[in-house]
Formats: sequence, C-alpha cells, structure tokens
Amino acid sequence: MIYFTELENLPIYDARGEYLGRLVDLGINPSQNPLQVATYLVRTPKNQLLSITHTQLPSISVRAAQTRVPAEEVRPYTPEEDLIRIKKDVLDQQIIDVNDQKVVRVNDVDFDIRPNDGLTDLQIVAVNVGWEAAVRRLLQGVFAKHTIRRVAGLFSQKTIPWEFVNLIEPDPSRRLRLRISYSRLADLHPADLADILEDLSRDEQKSVIESLDDETAAQAVSEISTKMQVALLESIPASRAADIVEEMPPDEAADVLQELAPETSAQVLANMEKEEAKEVRNLLGFEENTAGGLMTTEFIVVGDLATVESAVAALKAFDGSMESVHAIYLIDANANLTGVVPLGRLLLAEPGAALQQLSTDPIISVPFHADEKGVVSLFNKYNLLTLPVVDDNGRILGEVTADDVLDLLISSK
Amino acid sequence: MKSRSLRRYRRNLLIFLAVLGPGIITANVDNDAGGIYTYSVAGAHFGYTLLWSLIPITVALVVVQEMVARMGIVTGKGLADLIREEYGFRATFFLMALLLVADLGNTISEFAGLASGMSVFHVSRYIAVPLGALLVWVLVVKGTYRIVEKVFLAACVFYVAYVVSGFLAHPDWKVAMVSTVKPSLHFDSGSLYMIIGLVGTTIAPWMQFYLQSAVVEKGTKLKNYVQSRWDVIIGCIITDIVAFFIIVACAATIYISGNHEIANAGDAALALRPLAGRAAAALFAFGLCNASLFSACILPLATAYYVCEGLGLESGINKRLHEAPTFYSLFTGLIVLGALAVLLLSEQKQVPIILLSQVANGIILPFVLIFMLRLSNREDLMGAYRNTRAFNIIAWVTCVVMISLTLLLAVSAFFPRYIPK
Repeated sequence: MIYFTELENLPIYDARGEYLGRLVDLGINPSQNPLQVATYLVRTPKNQLLSITHTQLPSISVRAAQTRVPAEEVRPYTPEEDLIRIKKDVLDQQIIDVNDQKVVRVNDVDFDIRPNDGLTDLQIVAVNVGWEAAVRRLLQGVFAKHTIRRVAGLFSQKTIPWEFVNLIEPDPSRRLRLRISYSRLADLHPADLADILEDLSRDEQKSVIESLDDETAAQAVSEISTKMQVALLESIPASRAADIVEEMPPDEAADVLQELAPETSAQVLANMEKEEAKEVRNLLGFEENTAGGLMTTEFIVVGDLATVESAVAALKAFDGSMESVHAIYLIDANANLTGVVPLGRLLLAEPGAALQQLSTDPIISVPFHADEKGVVSLFNKYNLLTLPVVDDNGRILGEVTADDVLDLLISSK
Repeated sequence: MKSRSLRRYRRNLLIFLAVLGPGIITANVDNDAGGIYTYSVAGAHFGYTLLWSLIPITVALVVVQEMVARMGIVTGKGLADLIREEYGFRATFFLMALLLVADLGNTISEFAGLASGMSVFHVSRYIAVPLGALLVWVLVVKGTYRIVEKVFLAACVFYVAYVVSGFLAHPDWKVAMVSTVKPSLHFDSGSLYMIIGLVGTTIAPWMQFYLQSAVVEKGTKLKNYVQSRWDVIIGCIITDIVAFFIIVACAATIYISGNHEIANAGDAALALRPLAGRAAAALFAFGLCNASLFSACILPLATAYYVCEGLGLESGINKRLHEAPTFYSLFTGLIVLGALAVLLLSEQKQVPIILLSQVANGIILPFVLIFMLRLSNREDLMGAYRNTRAFNIIAWVTCVVMISLTLLLAVSAFFPRYIPK
C-alpha cells in the first residue's frame, strides 16, 4: 500500500540516471483500465509538464522512480488526454460514497504497488477521508515518510474502496470521456439520493439529475427542499423539467410549479402531457394552507354499486404510486362521495360482495376550503391515514394523505 | 401543500431569514460588541472628525463583499470549499485553525459586550453571561425554524436603537454632515491607529466565509445576481449607518464632556446618561446587548460550519450529535469558552486573548483576500463573471490598503510602544 501523499513530489530520473523532475500528478485512463495508473505527470525544473506512460516507468518506490527511456523520448503533457487526474480531480474534491450514501471530501488516495512482468503496476484501491490521512497531508514533505506513517497511524483511519467512489463531474462531455456515470445512484432510495443532492453544488446537482431517468429524478427531486427544486428545475431545459414534473405526484408537482418563476412555470406546464398538466393546473387553483392546497388528485374511485371484484380491477389499473393508496372511494352518479373502503376490508371480503357494505360509517371527509389545522385535527381525532376532500356539493376532489400531514406538523413545530 | 417546502428547513439555518438577504444579515452581525466599542471610542476620542472614513470603508466593504457574493452565486460553493479545492488541505487547515482562534476572541468579546451592556441595567455578569450563553445554545440547537426566524428578525430591527440614541444625543448635525463628506486628514498616529481599528473591525475574514456560504445556501440564481449585489450594497450601507450613529452619539456627549476614556461599550452607554438622558443610555446599552447576543449566536455557528466544510467533516444543525461530533464540539466549545473567559478572567486578563484574536485576524485577512482575488479571476470557475480589469484594479488597491492597515493593527497589538499615542 502506498499513499498519494508519499508519491507526490517523488524525484524521477531517466534511463541514464539524469534528473527529469518531480512527480506532480497521476493519471488513470478509464477507457483502457479503470484502476491502473496509466500516466505519470512530471514537472521539470524548467516548469515543463511531462507525461510519462506506465510502460516507460519500470521502477517506482517511495524514494524515487526511474524511466526505461532517455529524457528525449518522454512526451510533454497535453490537456487533451482523457485522464482522471488524482490530484486535480480526486484529491480535496467531493465524491459520492455510494455505499454509505454520503458526500465526502478526499484527503488522500491509496494505491496498491506491485511488480508485474518487469513493470511496476500502481492500482488505485481506495480514497482516504479520515483523520489519519488529514495528518499525512499536514505533515507531507515536512518529515520523513516513515515518521509520517508512524505519527499518522495514531489517528483514526477511514477509507472508501474505489469501487464505491462516484466522482462528480459537472461537464457532460468530460463525464462521458472519463466514463463517469451516476447509474449506481439510481438504485439508492430516493430520500438518500436527495440527501446526497443537497450536499452538492448547483452545477453538480444538475449533472446528476441530467443523467438520471425521469422517474428516479422525479422521486429524488420530490424529496429535496423547495428552494433547491426551484433552482434545479430552472437550470435545466423546460422540456426536461416537464418530463420530471410529470413523474412527480400531482400535489408535489403543483407545489414546485407554484414556486417557479411564472414564465418558467408556464413553459414547464406547456411542455407537459395534456392530462398531467390539466391535473396540476387544477390543483394550482386551490389556496395554500387549505385542504384543497394539501390534497393530491391521485386516488382511486369506483361507482358505489360496484363489487369488490371491480375495485380490485380499479386498483390494478391505477398508475399512481401504490404506496400512498390506503382506501378507495365510492361515488354515486353525481360524483358525490358515498363511501370509503379501507384496503384491509377489501382484502378480507368475498369478490362478489357489494362495496357499499364495506364502507366506513360515518364517512369522514373535509371541504376543500377547510384550513390546514382542521385537517390535522381530523387526522388526529379519527386516526386517519387518508382523508377525502370534497366540494360544497359533496363531490370528491382529492385526498390528503398522512405523510403530507406529518410534513405539515414537523415544519410548523 | 406548503408543508414540503419547510421539510428540510434546518439545513437552511445559516441564512436564517428568507426575508432578509445574506448581505444584510452579515452587515448586522458585523456590528457586534467589538465594533460598537471601536465606534464608541472613535466618537469619544475624536468627535466627529473621523466620520469621513466611513465612506471609503463602505466602498472597500462593498468591493470585497460583492466579490464573495458573486463567487457564491456563480460556483454554488462556499469559500472554504473553494479554497480547499484549489489550494489543498494544508492551506485550508492553517486558515481554519487561525479562523477558529480569531473567532474565539470574537466570541469572548461578544459575551464581554453582553456583560457590560447588562451592567448598565444593574444585572450581574454572573447572571447575564451564563443565561446568554444558554439562550444562544438552546436557540440554535433546539430552536425551531419559525422561532429562530422571528428572534433574528427582531434582533435585526433592534439595531434601530442606535439611530434613536444618536438622535437623543442631540448632535450638531451640521458639523456631523460636513465631517462625513469632507475628509480631515490628520496624520497623527492616534487617529491613524483609530482608522486602522475601524477598518479592522468592519472588514473581518469570517464575514467573507459567512457571506459566501449564506449566498450559496439561499440558492441565489445567476439571473438574480443584480438583486444580490443590491443586497450586499444595502447591507454595507446599513453597517456604516449604524456605525455613523454610534460615533455621532458618543461625539455629541462623551467627546464634548472632556473625559474621553471609556473602557468598554457599557461605559459608553453610561457616559451618555448625564448628557443625552436615561433613555439614550438605556437604548445604547440595549442595542449592545442585542448585538452581542445576535453575533454570539451566528459567529460560533458559522465558524463551526466553515471549519467543518473546509476540512470535509459533517456539519449542520440538521445532523445528530453522533453524525457531526466535530461540528457540535466546535459550536458548543466556542460558546462555553467564550462565556467562561468572561466569567473567570478579569478584563485585563481577557486582553491577551482578544489581542491574539486580532493578530489571527490580521494574519488571515491577507490570505483570504488574495485567495478571493485569485479565485474570482479564474476563468474555469467564474467564466463570464470573473473580475473585470477595472474591478481588479479597485479590488487590488483596496486589498493592499486593507492588508497594510490590518498588519499594522496586528503589529501594534503586540508592540504598542512602537505606535505613539
């Protein structure tokens, strides 16, 4: 194991034993080998930057390194080379620890050093984020390397294996060339992904969102703060913003659109599918801090003469988020709410049973203009998971779910 | 529906008030106990004659603060983050260590300010300081967004106390106005030293870190850059309007009375009493307590934030204690040490710590300013928003003047005999 702090400033000699310069950076070429150091960047005393390839450098140790070619055969470095540069791109930068779902800053980088067929392979193993590495950085170049190892060893170590390290690169074309992808982030829970997003700067957030599919992006965006939602959605093209907003639950979509600048909001709405846009526009008409402002329009209704069988069919056909479905609502020919059937009752009933028989009695509902506090006290009093919202004629408009009430309570605490 | 917008409210505690801009909040924290004392001394010793210096100080403040605000908006990163990414771990570590020392000194002077302000109301420091420290800690750690927001909004409004006490002191407005616009250059060492003090207390390193983080947390967008610039300019003007009224109040009373010696800002309030009346004195002392508590809330919190940010440690009030141990230790440690220093040490014994903190400030400021200037000129970071040539000239001149003045202040803190009174 060898640390980048021990390799930095290493004296490099050429085949004739003449001093070339000092090692300033290591480059990995992900399209060739994602782990192997491919290039050694050396700064000459004349301040020129050289690029020594892995095959040109057979011997490397903590003391020095020597090339197998004379100085004339070493190329100068050109920035066009597609390299992940350890010092420039990894050290001191923020990375995503995919395993612990955290954004951390890199203090040092660990390499495995081993001879291989007359060459020395340097393979990246992990990044170091603990105090031990911090102490190494602090003492680097001041004391002898073995002394530093001893002193730093007294402090706690924390490493993240390279396989769990996700670099953050805002430039999409460079991301492509360096094969940096955020695909692993899509597997995280949206709430964890949102936590990661909140630790990133705006450009970095944008780059992560750009590379996620609409649904994952929508789930994560739903979980971040409104301020960040707004900043993020205003910084990406309106068509993409529309794709993401479409995938969000309608009540959250309406929340965001309300906060966006009016012209952006209009653009996003114009780019959305007609159906979803209509739903969201509808919600935008309700006042904040009322039951109507709190509700979502994603819920399941069936006619009140229907049977359990058709309710199950309606459930199967429902394309909203299943997690929030706790009850189905019964309506009569005028769309008036006539019953609420909890899912549990549905599960135990015979397929042919009439739904009306399964409805809770009395039916608890709330008019759309009732204020938030009234909604909260209904949830509290009747131990509700969901609460239907109706208009003045008793027609169902939407439902308020317990998680919205929880958010409300926490934020107003 | 609104509920979600506040869901992650705690993360945004740094900016505190959505209604006020980061620039205005920074400005209010800047007028802390140390600042109030310095302005009082300026008025008590030199009357109206140094008022003119407020205008160039405002300009310098605007130049520096605009630069960090712009960096925050364009990069979306804090100053500590940027310095870490561009200048590496060691530079950041030493900068943060010095900042910690400087801010410990600042925190001590906040609690000292609270003690001397409350003494005007005959409240013992042994009651005022522990209660103040507890209040600050509980408010920040246990307080909810809505309460904190209201408390800080009130604190910002209470700075008006100084304006009122300035009027109650019945100053000679004509002389005051003329002195403000017409520089009276006396190059005697006493007034030069005073000007250095004024600059040093107005333009401090921590502000740059605080403002940039606050701008980032507020999520200001590039297209709102113009509003943000106004926020900074208005904030700087507010800072110096408050300074103006404090100087004027002391000039109209203490300076006129002939006995110019005031040992602390509470003394200034007491000295106002015979000449400007009980109300003016009470307002002055109240303003001092308010400013001290306000800054004692924000300084330790902000320090803990950017030290952790720079060193890559977990930070934030939304984290639990075991998730962000260093953050909480720093925040609590600063408050506890700050309060203890005031309780256990006599005023004389506090002096070396305050001096050390001034020296630390003096050492950091040049680095911070030079880092800032270099970062805000980087094309890869700032793109089209990097400094223009004209701005660079103004900024470099400002920075060179400020660096020289601050170094002079730091040197004079250690070797007072080389600066003749």
